[in-house]
Amino acid sequence: MPITETPAQVLDCKGLACPMPVIKTAQAIKTLEPGQVLELLATDPGVEPDMKAWSSRTGNELLAIDRDGDVFHVFLRRNG
Amino acid sequence: MWTDEGEGKVLYVQTHGVSDPGRSATPFFLAASAAAMEVEVGIYFTMYGPTLLQKDVVDKIGPKGDQGLPLSHFIKQATDLGVRLYVCQPSLELNDLAIEDLIDGVEMIGGAAFNDMAMRADAVVSF
Repeated sequence: MPITETPAQVLDCKGLACPMPVIKTAQAIKTLEPGQVLELLATDPGVEPDMKAWSSRTGNELLAIDRDGDVFHVFLRRNG
Repeated sequence: MWTDEGEGKVLYVQTHGVSDPGRSATPFFLAASAAAMEVEVGIYFTMYGPTLLQKDVVDKIGPKGDQGLPLSHFIKQATDLGVRLYVCQPSLELNDLAIEDLIDGVEMIGGAAFNDMAMRADAVVSF
């Protein structure tokens, strides 16, 4: 499903290994208002299962994960 | 001790010390990941584990030896996210250490408190 909303913030974690994308995402999403969208860019190959687990645990909504070459684009909506 | 303020509780146990640097950092990585999931996290250092927390050691060792970041970086990453660090007196004595030799913020507990934390945790992961 394509994401039509413009993300409130783009978090570039390309080149960072586990657990940094998770940690930085957790910190970044707290700076957003509820309902706003964060786009995470990551190259860590474990980011897809990690973001599924993280979002289901924290209640933030995982909207989509798109892959563009080595880069995963993860779209998350802040809960609340 | 647990505050029950998180979405769950995970307790890690680190038994390895400075003689095996490759085993030093992973508990901190996993603990930081759990804390980022809004889970309450503790790491209990026993057997040789307390040797990793010495003030004059944390900047000198790292998981990949001379390459990469020192252990202090990974400890701070975890504690900044709310991970709490625990030791017990007998394992300090085993390593000829006192609590004053360790980095700030390490809490002293005993066997009863450890077992209570373990029984109340959602998961206990031992290294």
